[in-house]
Amino acid sequence: MNDRPEVFRGNRIFLACIYWAFVLYVFVPLILMVLMGFKDSNFIGFPIKSWTLDWYTGVFADAEVLSTFGYSVAIAVLSTLISIFVGTWIAVLLEGRKFWGRTLLFGLAVLPALVPGIISAIAFRIYARWLGIEPGMGAIVWAHAVHNVPFVVLVVMARLSTLPKSQIEAARDLGADPLISFIRVTLPYLVPAILGASIFCLLLSFDDFVRSFFLGGYEPTLPVLIFAKLRSGMSPEINAIATVALFLTAAIGIWAERFTRRMNKEN
Amino acid sequence: MTEDKSGRTFWARLASWGPYHALMRLTTASPRRQFLILAAFPILWVLSQHLGPMLQMLRVSLTDAYPVAPGVEQHFTLDNYGRFFGDSIFWMPFFRTLIFAGVFTFCTLIITYPVAYFLARHVSRKNQMLLLLLLLIPFWVGEIVRTYAIMILLGNTGAVNLALKTLGLIDRPIPFMYTSFSMGVGIVYLTALYMLLPLYSSLEKLPKSMNEAAADLGAGAWTRFRRVSLPLTIEGISSGCTLVFLISTGFYATPVLLGGPSTTVFAETIAGFFHVAGDEWPTGAAFATIMFAAALAITATFQKLMNALRKGDKK
Amino acid sequence: MSKLIFNRRRFLGTTVATGAALTSPAYLRRASAQTGGEVNIWTYNDFVPTAFREQFEADTGIKVNIRLVDDQGKQFNLLAAEQPNPTVDIMTVAGHRFLQFIESDLLAPLDTGRLKNWDKINPTFSESDWSTINGNKWGAPILSGMEVLSYNTEIVSEEEAQTWDTLFSEQYKGQTAYIIQDMMSIIMLKMGYDGNMVEYLDDPDKAAQIVEEAKAFLIEKKPLVRKYYDGGAEFQQMMVNQDIVLGHSWNGPAAALINDGFPLAMSIPREGSYGFVYTFNIANNAPNSDNAYLFLDALLSSPEIGAEMTKASGFISTYKDVSQHLSELERKSTSFPDEQLANMQFFRAEANELKYSLVDPAVEAIKAA
Repeated sequence: MNDRPEVFRGNRIFLACIYWAFVLYVFVPLILMVLMGFKDSNFIGFPIKSWTLDWYTGVFADAEVLSTFGYSVAIAVLSTLISIFVGTWIAVLLEGRKFWGRTLLFGLAVLPALVPGIISAIAFRIYARWLGIEPGMGAIVWAHAVHNVPFVVLVVMARLSTLPKSQIEAARDLGADPLISFIRVTLPYLVPAILGASIFCLLLSFDDFVRSFFLGGYEPTLPVLIFAKLRSGMSPEINAIATVALFLTAAIGIWAERFTRRMNKEN
Repeated sequence: MTEDKSGRTFWARLASWGPYHALMRLTTASPRRQFLILAAFPILWVLSQHLGPMLQMLRVSLTDAYPVAPGVEQHFTLDNYGRFFGDSIFWMPFFRTLIFAGVFTFCTLIITYPVAYFLARHVSRKNQMLLLLLLLIPFWVGEIVRTYAIMILLGNTGAVNLALKTLGLIDRPIPFMYTSFSMGVGIVYLTALYMLLPLYSSLEKLPKSMNEAAADLGAGAWTRFRRVSLPLTIEGISSGCTLVFLISTGFYATPVLLGGPSTTVFAETIAGFFHVAGDEWPTGAAFATIMFAAALAITATFQKLMNALRKGDKK
Repeated sequence: MSKLIFNRRRFLGTTVATGAALTSPAYLRRASAQTGGEVNIWTYNDFVPTAFREQFEADTGIKVNIRLVDDQGKQFNLLAAEQPNPTVDIMTVAGHRFLQFIESDLLAPLDTGRLKNWDKINPTFSESDWSTINGNKWGAPILSGMEVLSYNTEIVSEEEAQTWDTLFSEQYKGQTAYIIQDMMSIIMLKMGYDGNMVEYLDDPDKAAQIVEEAKAFLIEKKPLVRKYYDGGAEFQQMMVNQDIVLGHSWNGPAAALINDGFPLAMSIPREGSYGFVYTFNIANNAPNSDNAYLFLDALLSSPEIGAEMTKASGFISTYKDVSQHLSELERKSTSFPDEQLANMQFFRAEANELKYSLVDPAVEAIKAA
């Protein structure tokens, strides 16, 4: 990789240790979760006296769980697309420009992220009613999209602040108008930030309970279903559901990554 | 960025296409007009979507009853705010939340900075994405399930105690659970991602040559870090910390599930007003507004500080 | 499949895709128009047995939509946000919470004359003191819960579990847990007062003094407790992880642990305790009120249905003649000796406003102490 002087080597080993310790920290609970899905009991925890595959096979046999998963994914993707579009636009407006009310606008842009979950959920519910939005998928997508915009704004602004001005100027000198120079220069530069922000948004939406609960109709999202099931105890069934959901999202993620890579190649 | 031929002709063709050209001339005629067109949508969005729900909340916080039962009149009042300032039992969870959020933000920074640094500086480009994605996997598991996994990790018969016992290091289990420690383990788990990504993206942009130049001049590891990496990644640190601090003040489920009798956070206090009695909504809304104002003030100060730091470096 | 279709219609109708709805296949629109309507229910997981639900749908053609909820407060908030045009017909309220819902005009009085199976409910529950408010019945009792002392039988003896004092003994320091709001009522009872505060309706000063006393007690005992918890699942997990060996809990979550083979037992200590009853209620302005009555009547029709609900939830059935449909273990985990039951009384709602205006701040103070 890089053949640097050996002062770097010691550092590197040290940092590698920290990295793998961190990996251990984030993966141990995950492994426990997967493991507990095999426990033959109605409650998770040690000791595990006997094992079973029933919880996992049960998940695949349960149409409700699978459709709930699909519902949650659809909500996450739709709301993320909206958040990215709006958030990027706001970031482009705010970064590197001085105008009256900029700080105010920035404050308003990050507002939804500041409000505690339960408050924001109830505020959305009251506001939705005022706007005449019916509870259901549309309402959840809307609430998630609005709530996630600040994260996009923050991440995209950070990246935008490092965009060399000379690049835009060069494009403008070549006769590109603002829109084309945005699409041809700024947007490609923003791709990593937009991807990062998308991950935030997808995660936040996929994991959100309180907004989904207040704005949802009779079809639960995955966290809503899990919360309801949790009332009768933290059963290995919930672990199995979460594990299956994890593997399915990972599969979708890998497929999407491959797909975009192929698209890029073909172009 | 690679320029491929068909792309260029497309954009060039578009640029010289009459109607488009005219449209652009029209919209970008003056910087003022260009700005207005750029600004119209964000301003509308922010006012209608971001401010709307919040104004509703503010309105509720200034009333004496909500939701209003038929036949009851609603009055304007400041009492709900007065209740917070008038009763010291609410101050403790309030300040605790701010302190916890600050401490956990700092812990997250300390823990994830070396991780991001390692990824960005010591791993080949090809593997970077892979190792980063590896770290993201666990975050796809919902907060509740993950929190219960931490319970069976740290409980008296949990994995850690089990391991220590098997190794013969302890006789009696160590009570990790329901303390600030178990709460910290759970919260850093939730926040690490929000710190890791901004840090990584700012570190990844750092030219390697700079560090090498510094090393050639005989600078030690710590000096190189302090004088080169740190100032250049202040952007990432600042946005990561802002993000983590903000979301930390709103955490509810994890502190409630992993905390002990003396770690009540303000979100729990607020939720209490919405849980049981309906006539307490206005108080809950007022308390949420107070928390919001405080978090906003702290982040604004923090941002100012970071800006000053950055300017100082540039001199 | 009909569920999917229904949901898709709901989705289409509520988003921008109105145009798409108009062009959607005709059979799709007809599908929901020709059913016998629907009934919308908010309830806890496993409260409505799946087999019963399917049978009911097949018999009546009424579609049962269940929205799973996880606590009383959320149902209240949601309904309050929806009134006066709620989407719900039947909801699940604990008997002693009635008053709050009734005062906010969220519930419709129950016309028991329309339920021919009303008398299949054990009168202990259907005719209890809490069940009639303003001269009306407000809900059909389905399951009953109790505040009990649960203990790990390998560590705590049956003898010790006969008094709440064990929960506050030095011996089990750091190994106990309780729900603090519920504990306030129990402590008041333990101190010889009326934890429902009905007796002090005319004497708010006395009420305040009693709450103060109970609060001081719990603050004094705070160093002994491991956790103030909220949900049954938390309690179960603490027991399984042996983070605690005894604690106050509701009987439902404890029964579920017992039925799973965990060495746990419950008692109603001699100082007394409180019970509560989950009821199915009809929302004010319910969109399908007739279907709601049909559903409730069908649900109450047979003790087997009651037994199913007990098996799934661990709570005690309010139906007559349920025990013959339960297994030995299930019967054991859902019954108490008569001399213990004599110590039990129901939560009452009359003084709730007074009570919670005092207890809620006290709970905050205990947590902050």
